[in-house]
Amino acid sequence: MMQTLRHIKGFRLNMSGKPAPEIDPLKDPQTLGILPDRISHITPRLLVKEGDMVNIGSLLFVDKQNPDFKFRSPGGGRIEEIRFGRRRRIREIVIRRDHQERFERFERLDAGQIKTASREKIVSLLQEGGLWPLIRELPFRNIARPGSNPKGILVSLGSGEPFHPDPSAYLRDQEDLFNVGIESLKRLSVPVDIIVPKEVFPVPDWAIPYCRYAVEGGYPAGDPGLFLYHMKQSAEENLMWYVAGQDVLLIAELLSTGCYPIRKIMVVAGDAAGNPRHLVTRIGSPLAHIAGHDPGEGPVRIITGGIFTGYSDTEQHHVGYYESGLTMVFERKEPEFLSLFKPGLDKPTYSRAFLSRIKTGGLRFDSDYHGEERACIGCGYCAEVCPVRILPQFTFKAILAKEIDEALAHGLLDCTECGLCSYVCPSKIDLTEMMKQTRAGLFKELERR
Amino acid sequence: MIRIKRIFDRLRPHFGKSGRFSGLSPAYEAIESVFFPKLRPVQVSPMVRDSLDVKRYMMLVIVALMPHYAFGLFNVGYQSQLASGLSPQFWPSIRIGLKTVLPLVVVVYAAGFAWEALFAGIRKHPMSEGVLVTCALFPLTLPPTLPLWQAALGISFGIVIGKEIFGGTGRNFLNPALTGRAFLYFAYPAQNSGDTVWTVIQSGGAVTADAVSGATPLALAAAVEKGQDVHMALESAGYGLMKMAFGLYPGSIGGTATLLAAMGAVFLVTLGIANYRIIAGCIIGMLGTALLINLAKTGESLPYLSLNPFHHLVMGGAMFAFAYMATDPVSSAHMQGARWVFGMGIGSLTVLIRVFNPAFPEGVGLAVLFMNLFAPLLDQIEINLRLKRRIRNV
Repeated sequence: MMQTLRHIKGFRLNMSGKPAPEIDPLKDPQTLGILPDRISHITPRLLVKEGDMVNIGSLLFVDKQNPDFKFRSPGGGRIEEIRFGRRRRIREIVIRRDHQERFERFERLDAGQIKTASREKIVSLLQEGGLWPLIRELPFRNIARPGSNPKGILVSLGSGEPFHPDPSAYLRDQEDLFNVGIESLKRLSVPVDIIVPKEVFPVPDWAIPYCRYAVEGGYPAGDPGLFLYHMKQSAEENLMWYVAGQDVLLIAELLSTGCYPIRKIMVVAGDAAGNPRHLVTRIGSPLAHIAGHDPGEGPVRIITGGIFTGYSDTEQHHVGYYESGLTMVFERKEPEFLSLFKPGLDKPTYSRAFLSRIKTGGLRFDSDYHGEERACIGCGYCAEVCPVRILPQFTFKAILAKEIDEALAHGLLDCTECGLCSYVCPSKIDLTEMMKQTRAGLFKELERR
Repeated sequence: MIRIKRIFDRLRPHFGKSGRFSGLSPAYEAIESVFFPKLRPVQVSPMVRDSLDVKRYMMLVIVALMPHYAFGLFNVGYQSQLASGLSPQFWPSIRIGLKTVLPLVVVVYAAGFAWEALFAGIRKHPMSEGVLVTCALFPLTLPPTLPLWQAALGISFGIVIGKEIFGGTGRNFLNPALTGRAFLYFAYPAQNSGDTVWTVIQSGGAVTADAVSGATPLALAAAVEKGQDVHMALESAGYGLMKMAFGLYPGSIGGTATLLAAMGAVFLVTLGIANYRIIAGCIIGMLGTALLINLAKTGESLPYLSLNPFHHLVMGGAMFAFAYMATDPVSSAHMQGARWVFGMGIGSLTVLIRVFNPAFPEGVGLAVLFMNLFAPLLDQIEINLRLKRRIRNV
């Protein structure tokens, strides 16, 4: 029985460059990579060095605090390069593929065994297989601590953010595998609830009975944090685990085949993408490989992950552990002459200060701030758009004044890090980044205790 | 466009770090960015940002004020022609209006811009757009006969004391334009209040004693003596409801046009720049308080107490202040509920000051400033109430 949950806030945006639903297979790339720097709340300890030979599923690095959080190689071949960022942070491990890649073998379970397996068994198989980090924990969005006792697991089929793979694409003909994944998650904690943003995605018919909740409203409808905020009755329910829809399939693949999964469905979309569509490709592919041809209209920004939560990298980099979407937008080359006085039929906005609000067609986004940074003028757009009713215009001042208790009382830990407050801010204050960093600092402090 | 770009390209080096005018670089950049907004590629997520910025936000308020300037130019000249015994035709009126208003605007902008540039230069901050709105609002609240030096002094006080010493736009808690106006009112009452300051008298006309007494409706209503009817008194001086709504009578330069202000309010609310809660709160507070006073009056009380609530609304600069001053996002309340209370406080205080304080014919400016002081308190109350309902997550 599907329940509909209404959330009134959020943002319905209107972006052109939507991906076509067809899935194209993509050739395997020459190199594969994994980006430890993009996995939040861990400190990686490298277990390989440049020149080492690895198989698919060989151990590459672990978390220093929790060595059970293992990260495995998405490909077989030679470690070509380990790229470091500032202060020797490990940015990227690049593997040059062999023609003949070999798999590491892990223990496999059949469907019956999964149904009767103990919690410890599933935990250890996932940790050993390198997929445990796909399960994350609210409120900090860290990798789930196996010892914690969550009130359930939320499987999110997307949040309506442009652009991520469509559940109708990655769930197509995957009923059995999805079922295996859900059964194994049920061994970890119950209930396992599947949430889907109502307006954005259609799901295959077979999946409808699985979906417990449909969330109505704009982005980030379907986000686990938002769902929890609206559903929780008491403070005990704050601790929850969550998994992304497609990752359930990866978990099922690992458990039922004993092989580290190497392919998933990704999406390449946005105005600057030559051919916006779904792709099935290797996990950890280089961005250039997925992005395909440059349409040649000037500099392009590749955003890995969605436009609100993703990060941008150059074409030489690879897709991160959690990401499954590339959104390509144009970089603005020239300032627009006297744009201040234009009605702005083509300017995307949350406010009503441009005529684009009456336009129904898709709008072109670019990766410019569209203004200089100013002091907060108290317009209140951030509080209006916040899906979990934080008051960012007050909370950020509490953070700047180091009044963390006050920020917490405002609901800092309910923050879904959706990015909408930063997006709408006319003073161009990086509110989300401030919240994210404060949350990360708080997590570190709590973990040390 | 290319020609303009070339001019900026030629000027830019002089305002650079080693240029001759490096101290003026915030002022230069502010001007350049109006023509060519600076490109700033986003580096932290979210990787796309809204098209709205503070510049556009403020620019739209100035756009909303343009009809008031057009009206003000005409009205100043029209009243001057009438009072000087000349023919109140359109073009001569506009000419007198321009002659009176333009110097005021130029002086106000020059002084305001200079202060903002000075503080921005010292702080090494970019110049904020708020000053442009302040300088657009301020002249509209002034009497047309004001000496230019007083206009300069007023805007200087408003910007420096009302805003800059607290850190500039966004950190002020008072409306800077009203702060400057209130300063002038208290420091130079002779040039800022009374019956004679609202009309420019030209020499050479056939001046009649009767025409010169250009009392404003607010002053008239306050002066009605016991036993008389306030509505009759206004009516006999020519102040009907419609006339006051159009605002074609002696008063501050652009503030008397109640209908224009209402249209401006609708414009700003439609575009999401002004908050409708504040404006609606103001109107409700004003009508409600006026009604209560109507009900409370006895035969012994002043006739002003019996003035129709709608007369209050159309008289003087109330609607102008509701639409443009009360809705200043920085100095108003920031929470939605607090905005209602904030508005109602303004409306209600305006009526109370007008009726019970013979020294202040127009109370709306002081009412806005007074409620500005209370806005943080109102916000705090609402936040506390709201946080109590929240399920803790620590």
